[in-house]
Amino acid sequence: MLTPEYIKEILKDHTINLRFHARGGQGGVTASNLCVEAFYGYGVCQPLFGAERMGSPTESYVRLSSNVDLIRSNEQVYAPHFVSVLDPSLLGEIDVTAGLAKGGWLIVNTSLDQVSIQTIVGRKDINIATIDATRIALDVFGRNITNTIILGALIRVSHLFSLEELSDAIMRRFKGEIAGKNIEAIKQAIEETCIYDIGIDPDFSVDTKVPWQQVYPGLPGYKELDKAGVWYCDEDVIEMGSSQVNTGSWGEWEIIWDEEKCTDCAQCWYICPDFAIIREKGEDGLWHMKGIDSYHCKSCQNCLEVCPVDAISKKLKQGPAACAVPEEQEGGN
Amino acid sequence: MSIEPMKIFFKEIKEPIETTMIGNYAVAGGVTQTDPDVVCAFPITPQTQSVEGLSDVVHQGRLKAAFVNVESELAAISYSTAACAAGARAFTATASQGYLLMTEGLPMAVGWRLPLTMMISARSFNSPNLSIWNGWEFTQVNSELGWNIIVSENVQETYDAAILSVMISEDSLFPTIFVHDGFIISHSVQKLTLIPDEIVRKMTPKKPRHTINTSKPGTWGGIVTPSFFMEGRANLEEAKEPVLGQMIDVFKRFKKETGRKYNLIETYNLDNSSKTAICTMGSMCGNIISWMTKNKDIGLIKIRTYRPFPYEELRKIVEDHNLEKLILLEKSDSLNGMLPPFSMSVASALYPLGTLFRSFIVGLGGRDVTRDEFDIAKKKVASISDMKGQLYSYLGLRETKDKIYGVD
Repeated sequence: MLTPEYIKEILKDHTINLRFHARGGQGGVTASNLCVEAFYGYGVCQPLFGAERMGSPTESYVRLSSNVDLIRSNEQVYAPHFVSVLDPSLLGEIDVTAGLAKGGWLIVNTSLDQVSIQTIVGRKDINIATIDATRIALDVFGRNITNTIILGALIRVSHLFSLEELSDAIMRRFKGEIAGKNIEAIKQAIEETCIYDIGIDPDFSVDTKVPWQQVYPGLPGYKELDKAGVWYCDEDVIEMGSSQVNTGSWGEWEIIWDEEKCTDCAQCWYICPDFAIIREKGEDGLWHMKGIDSYHCKSCQNCLEVCPVDAISKKLKQGPAACAVPEEQEGGN
Repeated sequence: MSIEPMKIFFKEIKEPIETTMIGNYAVAGGVTQTDPDVVCAFPITPQTQSVEGLSDVVHQGRLKAAFVNVESELAAISYSTAACAAGARAFTATASQGYLLMTEGLPMAVGWRLPLTMMISARSFNSPNLSIWNGWEFTQVNSELGWNIIVSENVQETYDAAILSVMISEDSLFPTIFVHDGFIISHSVQKLTLIPDEIVRKMTPKKPRHTINTSKPGTWGGIVTPSFFMEGRANLEEAKEPVLGQMIDVFKRFKKETGRKYNLIETYNLDNSSKTAICTMGSMCGNIISWMTKNKDIGLIKIRTYRPFPYEELRKIVEDHNLEKLILLEKSDSLNGMLPPFSMSVASALYPLGTLFRSFIVGLGGRDVTRDEFDIAKKKVASISDMKGQLYSYLGLRETKDKIYGVD
């Protein structure tokens, strides 16, 4: 188990790296910003560079040290020592333990027990901490905002900063009443974090970045491209386009189709931005709706709006992601 | 919103404050403090938050500026140039394709000797594919038009550059671009210390200068026949000569007020055992300084001022420290040239000295530049003994599915 004194000593000559997994809109980047603000030494926080969309998986990284020269690097974080997962639905979708060194800590917002988490991620050489942040968030805020709460669990296992330091950072950043509620929730999280310690600490002196991993070995090289800017649809060479992306995991609603009511008017098919309405040509030569492609449906609910016969309805998905917006607040913004 | 990123700038900043911010908001804050009269820019990733932040401070009434929405980057540069000619302090910002679209308007701000400032959040051009990520497009085009260009390594430097650029522009009467690496700095949260408003006001007074003015009518940018154009160019050329000296003076004044020391070129550990140094600019310098904590036999030459290029200063540094070999790293390539653009500038400076060097193209389209690249560049340059063969190569590139280019 790490102690505050040991962590302080490590930070003198080494960096400690963190990674946060969340979904767009859940505040993963804000959580990592708060780490830098709360930490007494030097720190850098980077989001995963690119475009973030509501509900899509996001990552952000933090590098902390007391040695300014080590923090001056703008290199990305490849080998985190602490990984925090704000949304348990990501466990099955993303390799959340990628690069996490032996003895590193995985902190998950979940109501599952640690052994189940160990099985899901398939790693027995890491420490696990769980916190039911969603329940605390619903208790304290009435909304599933878990980004500050997970920091409570991080404080408990890492001792990178104290509750007081984090509270100060929150007061500077949030408006008065909201700040108070966040601090209250964090206090609760520190107490309620469940720890599954395998008795090994991460070796902070060894950097476990795989050489050249930033170059993505295994993808086609420059000699294997045909015409550089022209990508032919040959799946043997390059996997093409957005059809590869599981946009279905971004949404919080399951869209349900009622075959009995459907008149095959196809209005939903025209309006769907993700081609998630499945149709087939029947023996009668006409196109018939067959269902909804849940791998790509991100529950924008356009189909539900246009359906003239109410053949489409919605249901909250199970799990914490499902209650990101409680039903009574729906339409409030 | 429960979080207001520009909140700290809504009120007068009375003393130096340590805070944490992303590069773009820090720039928006620095620009706010220099009190521009006109802010006019068109949004483009990864520059967007800088202008967003400024719109927020204007909306809050903190900054009494005209915030002008336009339909394109060409309109933004045209509007900003004209506003600056009319006497306003103007700021604009862009990146990548936006910088290309501005090209037509860029020479006029130089020709009219206008102290315009512009931020570039460096991003690759869209070729052969679209990339919103980092690359040094600003070295590939427009760098010889006469704009001053300074490049920043981190959030503190880019915040300071927002203020330094106004000082440099006002002193030299040439427009100034300040650059930070897109995403790597523009979107990274780092700690920085803000300068009190009072001190910024003191450093950036609005001095009287030539403006479009009815009491002194004149022609701005009218046609001239071959009897005059060349004299105009030579006049600009002569006016450019003292600019590096003016920049040094600006850096000195800045240090006196803030304690932070900048120079045209900054150097680290040049008196090392291998008599070798890496020469580059921008955010990569930070990566190299961290790497150097375990590689003490190598130095770093960090070019802060890219245009005007400090040829003589660079030559003097290489001579004074008896450097034998340089490793040039840059995030741009040149499909037609003998060397990519940054290396070309350095090579011109080194020409009389005959210093050995090799140039490496790294980090295009946002690819991370890590210790792997530095290690192999160091190894490759250690074995060179002449300037024969191709002088540049790529690093951190897949040759085939299972082979990294240039790595055995």
